[in-house]
Amino acid sequence: MSLRFDIDLAVPLHGFVLAVSWATDAEALGIFGPSGSGKTTTLEAIAGLRPKSTGRISIAGRVWLDTAAKIALPPESRGVGYVPQDLLLFPHLRVRGHLDAGVRRVESDPARALDPARVIEVLDLAPLLDRDVASLSGGEQRRVALARALCSAPEFLLLDEPLAGLDDALRRRILGYLLRVREEFRLPTLLVTHDPFEIQALCDESILLDRGRVIARGSSAEVLRAPGCGGFPATESLENLLRGRVVTVDEATAEIAIDDWIRVLVPRSGLAPGEQALIGLRATDLIVAVGSPAGLSAQNVVPATLVAVDETGTITARIGSRSEVITAAVTARACAALGLAPGQSVHLVFKTSACRVIPAGRPREPRP
Amino acid sequence: MSATASAMSALWISFKVAGCATALVFLPGLALGLLLSRRNFRGKGALETLIALPLVLPPTAIGYLLLRLLARGGPFDPRRFGFDLDILFTWKGAVLAASVMSLPLVARAARVAFDQVDPRLEQMARTLGQKPWQSFVSVTLPLARRGLVAAAVLGWARAVGEFGATVIVAGNIPGQTQTLALGIFGALQIGRDEEALWLVGLSIALAFSAMWGVESLLRRGRVGP
Repeated sequence: MSLRFDIDLAVPLHGFVLAVSWATDAEALGIFGPSGSGKTTTLEAIAGLRPKSTGRISIAGRVWLDTAAKIALPPESRGVGYVPQDLLLFPHLRVRGHLDAGVRRVESDPARALDPARVIEVLDLAPLLDRDVASLSGGEQRRVALARALCSAPEFLLLDEPLAGLDDALRRRILGYLLRVREEFRLPTLLVTHDPFEIQALCDESILLDRGRVIARGSSAEVLRAPGCGGFPATESLENLLRGRVVTVDEATAEIAIDDWIRVLVPRSGLAPGEQALIGLRATDLIVAVGSPAGLSAQNVVPATLVAVDETGTITARIGSRSEVITAAVTARACAALGLAPGQSVHLVFKTSACRVIPAGRPREPRP
Repeated sequence: MSATASAMSALWISFKVAGCATALVFLPGLALGLLLSRRNFRGKGALETLIALPLVLPPTAIGYLLLRLLARGGPFDPRRFGFDLDILFTWKGAVLAASVMSLPLVARAARVAFDQVDPRLEQMARTLGQKPWQSFVSVTLPLARRGLVAAAVLGWARAVGEFGATVIVAGNIPGQTQTLALGIFGALQIGRDEEALWLVGLSIALAFSAMWGVESLLRRGRVGP
């Protein structure tokens, strides 16, 4: 059985050669890195839009590029659903025309192709079908670009910075749609981003790219905390992600179990009991307490074990029995004053309002 | 021939010559525009300059060149190739002269029209499974549509107004090669001011209705998917 994703690519760029070698069976992949590191180029090379790329690309056992064997499928034969950062919607077509632009669907195996009606439903596009794309809002345009890619019967979805440049409320909504698409269609996906939260929310396995080279590979949380490239990502911008299940809700807040016995109180944000949710928590919004703090207005005080402490004040900790780690940023002075050291038991304190919550739909059934 | 009759015949000849020249030149001009807009190749600069020549040279120079090339015994004398097209001093000669003069305009305008279509939109269509010709038809042509119509109009306008090359290649024969442009000159030379005025009026009517038609065609809005 061949791997879902197996690439070994070289693409000449200005100043350096992009070299990405990556074989994995994970379903949701992420490329993370600062701007100018070659992320978009990698996507374009996979889509077949970089004629100068050499090497090998094999997706689900089908070879798209093999320079040694003189195979280079043109973009139309590759079967990617590509959503570029600038979307590239067709200005002369209505929304409906975009969904029909994928000629591959018509020609391909109807059993494998996605049902456009289902795509329209999942992305709430029914009211927009006869609209001009120029008249749509930014969020609507993103949904149309995503729907166009899905309707073209892709074998592989390529998303370039799907949430960049959106305000916070819109980001939340589009992320919700991306999660729905992921649940609903289960398409292998490669996503490019420089946003720590996005990559944790959407990707199972990621690489960190710097000036065309892979400098870390692993789970998204691991890659985020790998020794980065020139301080990227900055600890201050690091947003931790916790997954959990909604236990109870009241008017303003929801209680989310992130572990068998740890619950976190978050803003309700339209959550319903039983639903899965993602919680975003900035490293700078976490307070580290030695001993058991009392008399706080902050509602969340969770026990944690320190995994690593560096002298600049970046602290990595494990909450309860969870395997993934979260990062807190404190001052170097606080770090020294509290005598923080790996292995130490502490409490992490954070306010309900510091939690950014994204509903992630019904629980995922286990993979067959 | 009465003044009205000769004016109407000049109108008809203008119409026929400009229409044929536009039809003859539009597709090659479009192809040239596409080539210059989308491809890089050796000698591109030379080709661009060559195509621009008729815009810069005096039309009479182009006319004279055509005459020498096509004349009996000339390098492109059709009889050399075993057939007699009877081009010189017929309406076909006028079409040829008008075509050569309007091709550069059509090619240039078409190039601008294609330049304004983002090639990445074509690439996007390719990732959706469209072959190059399909993406040309579904993306490039509709997006370049306005510019291409403008290119045709420009070529047509140049053909209607063409004088210098035509008078040399086709002469100024009333009822045969005398277009509106040639007719005005002819009438003035023999002092028939009234006839010249008639022809000018007809020219204005022709130009006005053609431009009006094109504008309303473009105003009619989008071409559906």
